[in-house]
Parts: sequence; C-alpha cells; structure tokens
Amino acid sequence: MTPLLAADELSFRYEPRAPLLEGWSATFDAGEVVAVTGPSGSGKSTLLYLLGLMLRPTGGHVVVEGEPVDQLPDRGRAHLRAHRFGFVFQDAALDPTRSVADNILETVLYRGDSRAVSRARARELMEAMGVAVRAEAKPGQVSGGQAQRIALCRALLGDPRIVLADEPTGNLDLASADVVISALRTQADRGAAVVVVTHDPAVVARCDRGVAL
Amino acid sequence: MRPIQRLRDVARESWTSAWAAPVSTLLTMAMVAGMCAAVLLTSGRTVGAQQAVLTTIESSSSRAIAVRVDPTAGLRPDVLARVNRLGGVEWAGAFGSATDVRNGAFDGAGTPVALRLAWSDDWTALGVEEPGAGDVAVASVAALEQLGITGGAGSALTADGVAYAIVGPMDVPGQLQGMEPLLLAPQPTEGSEGSSITLLVVVATTAAGVAPLAAAVPGVLGVADPSKVAVSTSPDLTSLRDLVAGQLGAFGRGLTLAVLGLSAVLVAVIGCGVVMMRRKDFGRRRALGASQSLIVGLLLAQTAWCAVLGAGAGSAAALLTLAVSGDPLPGWTYTTGLAILATATAVAAGVLPALIAARRQPIVELRVP
Repeated sequence: MTPLLAADELSFRYEPRAPLLEGWSATFDAGEVVAVTGPSGSGKSTLLYLLGLMLRPTGGHVVVEGEPVDQLPDRGRAHLRAHRFGFVFQDAALDPTRSVADNILETVLYRGDSRAVSRARARELMEAMGVAVRAEAKPGQVSGGQAQRIALCRALLGDPRIVLADEPTGNLDLASADVVISALRTQADRGAAVVVVTHDPAVVARCDRGVAL
Repeated sequence: MRPIQRLRDVARESWTSAWAAPVSTLLTMAMVAGMCAAVLLTSGRTVGAQQAVLTTIESSSSRAIAVRVDPTAGLRPDVLARVNRLGGVEWAGAFGSATDVRNGAFDGAGTPVALRLAWSDDWTALGVEEPGAGDVAVASVAALEQLGITGGAGSALTADGVAYAIVGPMDVPGQLQGMEPLLLAPQPTEGSEGSSITLLVVVATTAAGVAPLAAAVPGVLGVADPSKVAVSTSPDLTSLRDLVAGQLGAFGRGLTLAVLGLSAVLVAVIGCGVVMMRRKDFGRRRALGASQSLIVGLLLAQTAWCAVLGAGAGSAAALLTLAVSGDPLPGWTYTTGLAILATATAVAAGVLPALIAARRQPIVELRVP
C-alpha cells in the first residue's frame, strides 16, 4: 500500500557546512500516529516543516501519496498545504487580532471552501475540544492549553489526510494534553497520517510507533 | 468556489485585516486623503478656474465671425445656404444695411435707432418667431428704450415712411451684442432675391474652429473682388483659450503628478512597514496554505480599501474647503478621476510590499519572536 506521506533520502542544511538531516527516510501510513523524537537541535521541527512543504529539502524528496511534491511550484505546494495538510505549531500561532472562531475558520479562505458550511464543522470541533464557550474571545484572553486546542481545531477543520503537530502538548497540563492526543488519535482513525514531534514520553506511549532522529 | 464568491471572500478578509491593524490603515487612509486634498486644493483649484475661464472664452460672442461686405458687392441673403453647408457652423445670420427708424408715435421726431433687415435659417436661437411678411421688427431692451416704446410693442417709421410693427424685448445673443441697440426685421428667405446684405455673422461650434471657419467663409461668398469683404474674429480670445488650456493644464498636470508620486512613495513605505510588522501573520498564512498570489491579493485589496476611504474623505474635505472659500470647483469628472487615480496609485505603490510579503519563507517568518 502506498504510504500517505514519505521522506525519501531527505537532506537539509541551513548552512553549507552544517547538515541537519542527511539521507533520512521514513513512511507514514494512513491511520497511524507516529512520534518523532530526538534531542534538542536534532532537526525535529525542521523535519516537520520539510514534510509540510514549508521548506525545500537540499536533497531527497517529500512524497505525498506516491508523488514527489517538494519541487512543485509555490502554488502547488500552497494548494497541498491548504487541502491535504493540517498543522499544529508549537506556539499555536493564532492571529491575536481575531476571535477564536475566526482563527479556526482562517484556512477556509485558503481552501476556497464555503465559510457558512465550515462554521458548523468548526462548532463541532470547538465543542469536542472544550473551547466552544470561548468562541468570541481573542487568543490573548485564553490559556495556553486552550490556545493549543484552538490551533488543533483549525488544523482539523478541513479534515486533512496528513496532520503535522510540533510539540502539541509541550506547555499543556495533563487534561489538556489528553484532549489533544485523543483528537489526533481520532483523526488518524478517520484515515489520516499523523506525525507528532514530541519530547513527552507519555505522548510517545500513546502513538502507534516512534521515529528517532 | 465561484470567482465572485472568491473575490467577495478576499474583500471581506482584507477589510477585516485592515481594521485589525488600525494604525497602518489610518496612516494609509491619511496619505491618500492628503494626496487627494493636496491635488484638489492646488491643481484642482486651478482646473476649476481654468474651466470657468474656458467657459467664458467658449461663449458664442468669442466664437462669432463677422463678415462685412461692401454694399456694391451685391451679396444676396441666399449665401446663408452655402455658409450653413460648411462644417463647424453653429449658427449663421445675414443682415442688410442699417436704416434709421423713429418711434411712429412721435411723428418723425424721437431718437433714431438703426434697423436692419435680417435673414437666418434658425430664428429660435435668437428667441424670435419665424418671420411673416417682414414688416415686424424685434427690439432689444436698449432699442426699445431708445425708441421710447414702453410695454414691449409699438411702431417705427423710416425716413421714407415705411412702417414696422415693433415687438420686444428680445434677448440679445452674444454674437450680436456688438450691434446694440439691436433692432432686427426678420425677413423670409423666399423672395429675397432683390435684397443685398452687408453683414454676415457666423458662429463656430467651438473656439478652436473659429480660425479655419473664418478662412473658409470668404470662399463660399461668391464675391469676385476680395477687397470688398472683411472678415473679423476674436483672435485674442482664441489665443487666450489656447494659452489657458495649455499653460494652466500643464501646470496642473505637473503638480498632480508630483503629489501623486510623493504620496505613492509614502504609501509604499507604510506598506513595507506593515509587512515588517506583520511578518508572523504572513508567515502563518503561508504555512497554513495561502498562496503567494493570495497574499498579494489580500494586501492589495487591503490597500485599495484604505485608498478608497481615504480618497473619499480627502476629496470631500477639499471640495468643502473650496466651496466655503468660494473658489471654483473642479467638477465631478475631475474629482472622480482624481479619486480613481489616487486609489490606483496607492494600489500600485502597494505592489512592492505585497510581493515582499508573499515571497518570504513561511517558516522563517513564523519564527520571528
């Protein structure tokens, strides 16, 4: 079976003499949650950005559903990011000037979906993540745990086939972390490939497998 | 998604983004408002004055061509048909020699007034009814006063005892104001073979058409001896018109371009500042799937919103200032054109910052503290 996402001999360096990744390969299948672990500075987040087509590899390929996609023009990569991927950033990366609901609905414009139709799905996700009561609040008015759950709602709104999460539970209490991991697990059960960068052994324990850098 | 729906979503998002950053939005609006106000209060005021002067210059009196013909030349009223066939003729009238008439009620006494037999294909331009038997004369206010006729109706007699019924007052058109006090006896064109004319007045449709028409008219008169024909126009006014339209127009255009150029630079600087301040915002958008073209579109739409609001506010304030100070207004065409130009200039100035924002690496921007 063709994996949903694969790294094929992936290499990357920010500076010419300091390679961060050299010939790294892995596959990520539909329905599984994979933990990417490793010491600080080993390139975990960079790997996630490479897999998410936000950086171009200096060698090798990122393969989505059997097709190398890392050398696509910007429009093609942006289209994949909007339609196939869901991202959860380490610091949530919410727009501080917009309401929680508007933050969750942000990607609707990038996908070209109907905002009215997406509203119902956003409401479902907010209720599932326990942030529905803060729908009209600004990100500055919610806790770190709530912000991360809001970011997860935004990532899952388009029902992505690939979810990339960078330390999604890094600053969360146990209860919030459990909600986040459960939501990622549910998305995998819906047929997505979920890649989680984490330091947390408890998170690793709840993943299907781990990949070390 | 349909293109219109897409455009609406981009417009909505850019509007929301504009008001999420009110300082830069208000700054851009102020720049465009200042641009429009500065242009309207300087070259716009000049354009208003220019239009007022040109309107005066374009009046029928300055577009009139007077052709004086020696009575011995034998020019007949039927020359009007040939003159009217020339291009650029708005109105033409032919006049016979002046004959003194006096108020018929004064029994040969009273102040004489010059009466002229008149022919034209268009009497409505003078506010005069079609001529009947030719024994009715229309008089201006000045002519009525000079004749001593009150109540607008009376009679007048020539020295030979020919009687005319006098009606009035008529409004003297610009091209005939030099003939005041004006007393005309409209004559039917039919049966005018025995009459001769000494004055032909031709009005050109435009001031610019005066010179070529003045050159063409003698050619259709059919007078063998050119020394018996004298053509006069208002050359000074025509030259003045060209001077006003040329020099003031050039001044206005130069000033407008200078103001627009300076404002464009300022809008571009503000745009670059906005891009630098919102690096994280653009980085997030790009990371979440916004294409470069969408980022450019959002930023340009945001600039356009600010520019439209700024242009409206600046133009309204400037027009109000001009109206209060009693200066001539430049007109809606000029004002609307300026607002569109200012908006287009601001949007064009926003292209560079938009391209800078769109071409940044999303993840580099996201990592900005």
